[in-house]
Amino acid sequence: MRPSFFHHLHPPTIPAAQARWRHTLGAGGTTVFLMLVLGVTGILEMFYYVPNPEEAALSVQVITYHVPYGGFIRNLHYWSAQLLLIVSAVHLLRVIFTAAYGHPRRFNYLLGLGLFVLAIMLDFTGYILRWDQGICWPLTTGTNLIKTIPFIGDFLFRLAVGGGDACKTALTRFYTWHLFGLTIPVVVLGIWHAFRVRRDGGIAVPPPHARTDNVRISRNELVRREVLTMFIASILLVLLSSFFPAPIAPAMIGKPSPDAETRAPWFFLWVQQMLKWGDPFIFGVLIPFGILVILAFIPYIFPKPADSDIGTWFPKSNRLAQVAATVIAVFIIILTLLNR
Amino acid sequence: MTDLSRRDFLKLLRSGFLYISGALALGGLLRFLDYEPNPAPQTEFDLGPASNFPLGSRTLLSDPPAVLLHTQSGFSALSLVCTHLGCTLEDQENGFTCPCHGSRFDAKGNVTHRPAEKPLQSLRVEVTDEGNLRLFTA
Repeated sequence: MRPSFFHHLHPPTIPAAQARWRHTLGAGGTTVFLMLVLGVTGILEMFYYVPNPEEAALSVQVITYHVPYGGFIRNLHYWSAQLLLIVSAVHLLRVIFTAAYGHPRRFNYLLGLGLFVLAIMLDFTGYILRWDQGICWPLTTGTNLIKTIPFIGDFLFRLAVGGGDACKTALTRFYTWHLFGLTIPVVVLGIWHAFRVRRDGGIAVPPPHARTDNVRISRNELVRREVLTMFIASILLVLLSSFFPAPIAPAMIGKPSPDAETRAPWFFLWVQQMLKWGDPFIFGVLIPFGILVILAFIPYIFPKPADSDIGTWFPKSNRLAQVAATVIAVFIIILTLLNR
Repeated sequence: MTDLSRRDFLKLLRSGFLYISGALALGGLLRFLDYEPNPAPQTEFDLGPASNFPLGSRTLLSDPPAVLLHTQSGFSALSLVCTHLGCTLEDQENGFTCPCHGSRFDAKGNVTHRPAEKPLQSLRVEVTDEGNLRLFTA
């Protein structure tokens, strides 16, 4: 039988430690599943969505309230997207806390970080596609933030929005960014990321000479565990989508009144909280970007984890990176809770 | 130069050609995306007959967001677009509040609470020959 990409990802046997839930938390695999759900439900939404400022919000209402199972499909898309951000963040923290980013996995860590940023941008553009009263102020402040970047801000704003007043014009570009401009890079980087996991020796575990258990599991067992994880994720998705509908607001007619929704989507609440402190460029662009740079540099300038520590939880040689990631995570969570 | 073999020269030529084509294509793509298809936002608004706004009146406009005053010294207007990140301000007892990040301005448009740093923009108002009010936002 000719080996396929599936066989590349699922070799005949792998060390049992690479597929233990308490080691991987199943996070990386779950993101793949969520992206598949997002792809399928997103295509289904495209059969009804009208990317035109006059009709977009109404077509979302048609999907939500008239199309059979339309509301459920939209809820699945919404919840998969929110879970994707949470599961990706868990995956990133798992990789840092188990020192899994060490050589030779440094480059794949960067690919993963890139995927995380793209996922955030996809969530924001998708949220804007509702094009109802709830999105105008977050869209206005978000795109005005781009303009505060010195020298290239106006250029980036035109690239993202197409110019003009974002609440009246951004839909065409955000639609294209959401469906193609961001999605195609996610697919390419995602396949590359999964390919590199195997190419770099599979999920990070201590090297053979430092391993305490040499149990291996078969391909069938690995697939069984993956299917089980997907099954659990599906149940959670169906429950969330059945009982907690995705947000929707009345269609936007002219500029919404100041009492329309002014809170950022949940994953940007921490940035909105910082923006209350002062200069938009510093608090809305420099600090978030700085956090990203620190994360990107962890495999390159932080102390190198010992070989025998790679793939173990909270190893000593990796303390500094663990502290940095914890401080960043706590900082973001506290700011999110402060913003009410 | 004599060290450069025919093969190396062709290799160099090939990679040079590829990189230059790539850079040109990227430049073209960025210029392509840089075009503004949307008309610039409207900067001139007709508010109708000036007699609709009697002496002493204070009117909140929603598009463009502004407050229009008619006092002894004539018409004047203050933009209600927050100078921080562009949300529309809420009209309150002795000033304006931004619902997005909490900036506050007094009735004259001066900042009384950060994060906004610049005062609100005063807008030019003119009475046309036909007696209509015209508001300019730029």
